[in-house]
This record gives sequence, structure tokens and C-alpha cells, in this order.
Amino acid sequence: MGINLEDIHKSFGLPPTSVLKGINVTVNDGEFVAIVGRSGCGKSTLLYILSTLDQPSSGSVEIDGRLVENMDIGEVHSFRNMQMGFVFQFHHLLPELSVIENVLMPALKRNLAQQKRDNALKLINEFGLSDKINRLPGQLSGGEQQRVAIARALVMGPKYIFADEPTGNLDSTNGDIVMGLFKRFNQEQKTTIIYVTHDPTFASLASRQIHMSDGRII
Amino acid sequence: MWFLAIRHLFSRKRQTLLTLMGIILGTAAYVAISGMMLGFQSFIIDQLVNNDSHVRISAREDFITAHSMDKDFFGPSVLVSWAAPPSGRRDNAYILFPGAWTARLAKEPYVAAFAEQLVSQVIITRGKFKAAANLIGVEPTQQSQVTNIQKYMTVGNFKDIGTGGNRIVIGDLLLKKLGATVLETIYLSVGFGEMRPFKIVGTFHLGVKALDESNIFGALADVQLLGGTPGRISDIAVRLYKVELAADVASTWNMLGDEKVQSWDQAHEGIMSVFTTQDIVRNAMTLSILIVAGFGIYNILGMAVTQKRREIAILRSMGYLPRDITTLFLLQGLVLGIAGGFLGAILGFGVSHVMASIRVSAERGLGGEHMMISFLPSIYLKGFLLAFLASALSGFLPARAAGKLTPIDIIRSESG
Repeated sequence: MGINLEDIHKSFGLPPTSVLKGINVTVNDGEFVAIVGRSGCGKSTLLYILSTLDQPSSGSVEIDGRLVENMDIGEVHSFRNMQMGFVFQFHHLLPELSVIENVLMPALKRNLAQQKRDNALKLINEFGLSDKINRLPGQLSGGEQQRVAIARALVMGPKYIFADEPTGNLDSTNGDIVMGLFKRFNQEQKTTIIYVTHDPTFASLASRQIHMSDGRII
Repeated sequence: MWFLAIRHLFSRKRQTLLTLMGIILGTAAYVAISGMMLGFQSFIIDQLVNNDSHVRISAREDFITAHSMDKDFFGPSVLVSWAAPPSGRRDNAYILFPGAWTARLAKEPYVAAFAEQLVSQVIITRGKFKAAANLIGVEPTQQSQVTNIQKYMTVGNFKDIGTGGNRIVIGDLLLKKLGATVLETIYLSVGFGEMRPFKIVGTFHLGVKALDESNIFGALADVQLLGGTPGRISDIAVRLYKVELAADVASTWNMLGDEKVQSWDQAHEGIMSVFTTQDIVRNAMTLSILIVAGFGIYNILGMAVTQKRREIAILRSMGYLPRDITTLFLLQGLVLGIAGGFLGAILGFGVSHVMASIRVSAERGLGGEHMMISFLPSIYLKGFLLAFLASALSGFLPARAAGKLTPIDIIRSESG
């Protein structure tokens, strides 16, 4: 099934600035896709439209055979909660919550915190954070925070992971660890991973690269 | 969302504490001020309601106006212009048909008791000293059923007046003014009538100076005899089962006959309007305090929404709905309101207790020796609800603004 975008256009502001110009792309289930290109070419905008966080100005987005425009806000949020995980460049952890609480936040939305706790602990353990389970984000390094964010994205067992410059704020060692985790989950769990990067080394890890320039796929 | 709302509040300890203090002080001020004012009001109302009647039927009052005599002198079709228009008052000192009233009152289902009275202005003579007073002729059993006079007796028993025999009970301040003692005989006279001896068999203290230094109660038959008006009464004091019906009942009865019928609150309209003014001042003051506290909440939540934009974005990306985000911030306002309202009510209770221990008068009356403070549960409930409402309203706007933020706008502005 996967995600299918048809003739996507996106423009911002007045007068409108066109950011995406007629994008057609399909991401199949289990793919490991990198969106690459220079700054301002529309990579992040494409990622957010693929992930339903943003809506196109025109064109259609179809996820698992359903048109997003036909889904109500509750369905979209439910789908996001159960089937999607997000990782951002700036971690976006909740600073007043501990590592385990941050990881369980998506589960808390569905009152599934108890059921998902074992999975959360397993992920934290796998990510080498088992001794920091009760620490606050402020007590972790940047690499550790990003691993917590990935664990949070994975805790519900999503079908899709969307990552916007997940290594952009990390040193190369931590960047390697993060990409290694993505690769592993893609291979072991068949999680579809779509990430934006401008780092050619990390982009080369993907099974497919979508190259963008000036709002178009090239 | 409760869990996260509490965590958010704890993460901003100083701001939370300051806002909480504002709500606590606002609520406590409301409770203490209301307790003081309502305590005073309830005492005065109790005095007015229980020392007098709920409804008073008194002799007719008829004022002569410029044209009220035109018809009598010139017939209905003549337009009269008076060089010196007539004026004055023609009233009866007595209820014309008391039997009709008493028969009706005996059948009224909401009348608990009624007492016939004859009120006369008398001159008291004790030796060479003379003083004016109000002599109220009553049937003591009836009067005790209508008012709480027995409760305010300081010496003797109200029923010692009996139904005749020239025995009286007088206000303790009047007794003092006369320099008389209980069981002494004093002389009373009405107008140019002859002086008659009356024996003081008791004293009362209502706590209202004007009454305690001017009122005398005697047997109805004795007072009628003193005034040379046997069988006449000037007033009927009525006690209802439900005092709150007094105004309606009085208005209805006013239409039945020529007599003037007034409820206790209509008769003391001036005092009641003072109470209304007090209530307005009290509520306005409290509202001001709570508005300040409300702005505190608005401010703290407004800042929180700005500070937590990243968290809002990530929560939305996790599938949290706009209404979840609104709830998250609204709950923070409500937690402050609930905690502040509860703690404020406790603090207000403590302050009220301290105020209630302040000595204000050594005399009995006016609530005894200490300040009259009301501890009505409704004051505490209202204080709590005001704090809750102020918090809910002031928390709503920032919470709604937070709910309207879209994750993508936040992410763009953060990365931009």
C-alpha cells in the first residue's frame, strides 16, 4: 500500500511562493527512503506532506489506500498516533518528563501506557539508555536525547517513521548510531523509514534516494 | 492530560506559586469580608425579623392632596384651582374592623401567629422626672408567639405582664434613664389623660438602642384603659411560617382593606438598601481581586504556551488533538483555581475565626461581646466557585490559542 502523492503543489505566503511544484512520488511499505537536496529545495515540506503534518495547496495524498483529504481530523490524528513516528532535528522531548515518560507519551494518548511499558523499556535498553530511565532530558547528551526521541517514535510499533534531519544536530558518532537504529528497524521490523538529510554519507544508507531541486523531484 | 498539566505547573514553580498566592488571597479576602458583612447583616435582620413581626397591619394613613377634596366640595364635573390648596393627613389611630382581620388571619395557612397591639405615646412620670416612651399594649402569650421578646428578657418573664393589673416590662436603657428599679411603680399618662400607676415587672435588652430606651410593653386591656379607648387596636403583628413570603403576603393584603400592611423588609427599606450597597461593594471588591488573580493566570498560561511551542508541536505530531492541547492548558488554569480556591477558603476560615475573637462591645446585643462573623457554608462555596470560574475564564483564552497552533507552523518557526 504505502504512501502515494499525486501532482502535489505547495505555496506559502502572499504573494505566494511556490515550494513544491507538481510532485508525484510513491513510497512503498518497508522502504528506506532518503529525501535529499540543497537547503530550501522543499525536502522538509515534502516530508511533512507525506506524514500528514502539512496539507498540500493542491494534489492528493493517499496513505494505505485512503485519501487523507477524505479523513476527518480524528482519523488523521489516530492514524498518526498508531501508525506514524516522528523524529526531528531538535529532539523535541518534553523537558519535565523523564526518559521513560517521554517514550510512553504516544501510548498515554490511547491509555496504553501500561501495555506499552515493556516495549518502551526494551527500546530504552536496546538504545543503551537503561541506566538513564528516570533522567530528565536536560540530564542527557544530544545523542542520548535523539535516541530517546527515536524510542518514542517506535514505541507504538508504527508502520512509518518520518525523520527531519535526524542527524543534523549530532556529531558523526551519534549520527552513525541513529542511522544504524533506523536501518535496523527497517530491516527487522519492516518499518518504512523516510528521512530528510543533506549529508551524502547518511543519504547513501537509504535503499532509495529522492533528489529534489527547486521544488521538483529530479 | 492531568499528569502533564501538573508537571507543567511544577516545572514553573515560582510563577505557579505567585499566581496561586493571588488566588488564595483573593478567595480568602472574599470569605473574610463576606463573613464579616453577612454576620453583621444576619444579626441586624434577625433583630428586625424576630424582635418585630414579619408583617405588620397598622391603622390607615391618608394624606390630603391638592385635589383630594375637590369632589366633596364642588362635585365631580368642576375643575378647581385652589388659591391655597388643602394639605394634611387624616388617619385613624385605630384599625377600624380588627375582627375582620383576625378572622381572616386565623384562617390563613401561612400565618403562624398574630398579635393585636395598641401602640400609644406616653409620658412617664417618676417623681419629678418625666420622659416620653412608646407603650405597646399586647396580649403576652400572643406577642411571645409572634416575636422572640422572651429571649431578650434580662429580668423577669414577659408573661408576667398578664392580661391586666397594670404590670409592664421596659427596656433596660429606659429603666436606667429613669433611674428606676424592677418592682418599682411608675406613672404613665396619654396626652392630657390621667396618670395611672404601672408596676415594672421585668426588663428586656433587644440590642437596638432606640428600642431599649423607649419601649414599654403592657397588657392590651391596661393600655386601652389608659388611653380611654377600650376594644381598640392600632396594629396587628403577624408571624409567618416562612419569612421569605413576607413581602408578597404584605403586598396581597394591602389590596384587601384600607389598613397599611408592610413586611419587615418593606418597613426597613433604608436598612435593606444599605445591605444591598454593602453587597455590591463586597462583590465589586472581590471581583477586582479575582480579576487581578485571573490576569495572573492568563499571564502565566500565555507565557507557558509560548514557552511550550515545541512540546505542543511534538504532542500534535504524536496524534494529540487540538482539543487535547486546549485541555492541557485549561487544566493548568483549573488546577490553580481549584487549589487556590480551596486553600483560600481555608485561609479565609482562619481569618474569620481570628476576627470572630475580636472584642467589640461589652454589652449584650450586637452579637455579644465579639464581632459577628458569618460562617455560612455558602460563603465558602461561593468563594471557591469564584476562584474556579476566574481560573477557568482566564485560562480559556491561552488554552484555546494553544489548541489552534498547528505542528507544522511551530516546526517551521522553530527551524526558521
